[in-house]
Amino acid sequence: MNKKGNILRNVINSVLPILLAFVIGGIVIACIGENPLETYWILLKKSFLTSTGFMNTLHYASPLILTGLAIAVTFKANLYNMGVEGQMLLGGFFAGIAGAYITGMNPLVHKLICFAVGILCGMAFALIPALLKAKCKVNEMVVTLMLNYAMAKALEFLSTGVFRDLSSGYVATPTIQESAMFSRFGRSRLTMFFVIAIIVLIIMYIVMKKSKLGYELTAIGKNPEFAEAAGMNVAKKTIILMLISGALSGIAGAGYMMSEQFKYTLSFSGTPGLGWDGMLIALLGGHSPGGILIAAIFYAALKTGSDNINMYTSVPKEIVALIQGLIILFLAVKFISERTNFSFRKKSAKKREGAA
Amino acid sequence: MELLNNILYDTVYHSTPIILCVIGGMFAYKANVLNIALEGMMLNGAFVATLVMFFTGSLPLAILLSIVTTLIYGLVFSVMGITYKGNVIVVGLAINLIAPAIAGFVMKMMETANINLTNVNIANFKINIPFVKDIPIIGSILSGHPPITYLAFIGIAAFSVLMYKTKFGIYVRVVGENEDSAKSLGIKTNFYKYAAVLIGAFCCALAGVNLSVERLGLYTNDMTAGRGFIAIAAIYCGQGRPVLSSLYAILFGVARALAVNLSIYAGPAAGLFDIIPYIIMVTVLAVVSIVKYKNVKVRGFKNEL
Repeated sequence: MNKKGNILRNVINSVLPILLAFVIGGIVIACIGENPLETYWILLKKSFLTSTGFMNTLHYASPLILTGLAIAVTFKANLYNMGVEGQMLLGGFFAGIAGAYITGMNPLVHKLICFAVGILCGMAFALIPALLKAKCKVNEMVVTLMLNYAMAKALEFLSTGVFRDLSSGYVATPTIQESAMFSRFGRSRLTMFFVIAIIVLIIMYIVMKKSKLGYELTAIGKNPEFAEAAGMNVAKKTIILMLISGALSGIAGAGYMMSEQFKYTLSFSGTPGLGWDGMLIALLGGHSPGGILIAAIFYAALKTGSDNINMYTSVPKEIVALIQGLIILFLAVKFISERTNFSFRKKSAKKREGAA
Repeated sequence: MELLNNILYDTVYHSTPIILCVIGGMFAYKANVLNIALEGMMLNGAFVATLVMFFTGSLPLAILLSIVTTLIYGLVFSVMGITYKGNVIVVGLAINLIAPAIAGFVMKMMETANINLTNVNIANFKINIPFVKDIPIIGSILSGHPPITYLAFIGIAAFSVLMYKTKFGIYVRVVGENEDSAKSLGIKTNFYKYAAVLIGAFCCALAGVNLSVERLGLYTNDMTAGRGFIAIAAIYCGQGRPVLSSLYAILFGVARALAVNLSIYAGPAAGLFDIIPYIIMVTVLAVVSIVKYKNVKVRGFKNEL
């Protein structure tokens, strides 16, 4: 199997679903009497072709890179960890609490504390399904889904009761101290958080591609029975991977809190939520760090663009959610299988060999 | 007494959609197709039913269109997941995203945040059984529910028969247990998988109608609130057995009924009651698994559950 064909195949398998989804989205836009090309042009122009827009896109990509990695690191090992959303919410919430209630700190130390709190919360939340999976063989997907709902409700309780900011007109926790806020670059929303996300991405690239853990991760994903027989402790690795996933989601939540939201509201992660977006990004990027970076930026562009669609056209921005769903749907199917050969020359060479 | 009656009534109320999802989804579970799109299908059923009801006011038409559109989702799921062998979990997730997206899109076009059925009096749907409704405790369990609720409980029995006493049920289970041998016997495996998924879609549509039109008379975009996933958890706990899985569904109904009714007394902590059903399900799952694997001493890989 030649490498060039592999890459080409991966690219086509990622691009084709996107194109199909946009075509269907375009048909829907046309049906409500708007010009799809114009709508897509606004989407593109406002998210990539202006400098502020592009920096905003990068800003929105930062948490998505992290949640995408958090999903990829478990999905690649065939662990369907749907709890990234809950891990991220918990991390974000308590990072926000730490940011609001600790006062008079050095800005750098304060941010580090918030990140540490976020990471610990994310890991703690991921530990429950991890232990249940490793020790009791409970299906991690169902557990994480259940716990997500439980977590959202619990945080709703905390933010409406114990930690409510009474001076605010709606349900929200107190705004974090200025020492915990990332400052923005210029007129855009971009902050240092993007740099942190990139650093984490590079670390994860090394872990996933170059380290022993990365190799084991792939092996477990391909065949857990073989991995076990080959001497890997699958249960232990499951816990480690879930903890990494929790930590990544924790960073995502904490960073999102400190660079964008500044307080926990009931719509902290938006709809359908950063964790769910992360799932799409991981799938789109083929569970590899490089792919995730591209997918996250693409996805953030959709997000930045969708706000502008609302502003400049009469197309509801829900169209973007529809397109996202369609992308996932088409991504599930491999349009071009591993057997499809791109290098026709080789084929004929083989034939000649066979003839000889 | 009043409280007990309310709790029992609400138990039946909140169990119904989950039971419908469970008895529909267990065929897919038995056919070894993990259908996590139950949530999205139920949401679609609720949405279409409410929408049609809003514009025409005709209940039969609402139910019919709701079932037809949900079957289309089932068909999409089957084509992508079974014929083209896509990852069924990913396909399911996609449907769970697409269903609320379409609903949100349509509601945005209607310039409303939720569809409120002002032309429908939901009290009319309730069937009050004479004499029975006056018996103290049994009355609140048996009487005063909308038709689909009764259908759901009858469905448990009907689908047990379908699963265990008919050729269809046996074939579905054979396909799930060993697809290759099923194929070698000349069973059209894909047909049975399609059928299993479509039965699930059908039941989810009814669950949606029950939830939105019959009970509340309105539709909002997050109204299913994870019931589809709870149904999946219940199916897992009961290992796809109709009666056992339905009992787990009822367990969730009990927890939810307790949360709703006791929250009046709890004051500010009321929000915490909503967590109880989810925690109970996780605990049950854990206990069931521990019991199941108690005697397995082999150090474990384990990926099938």
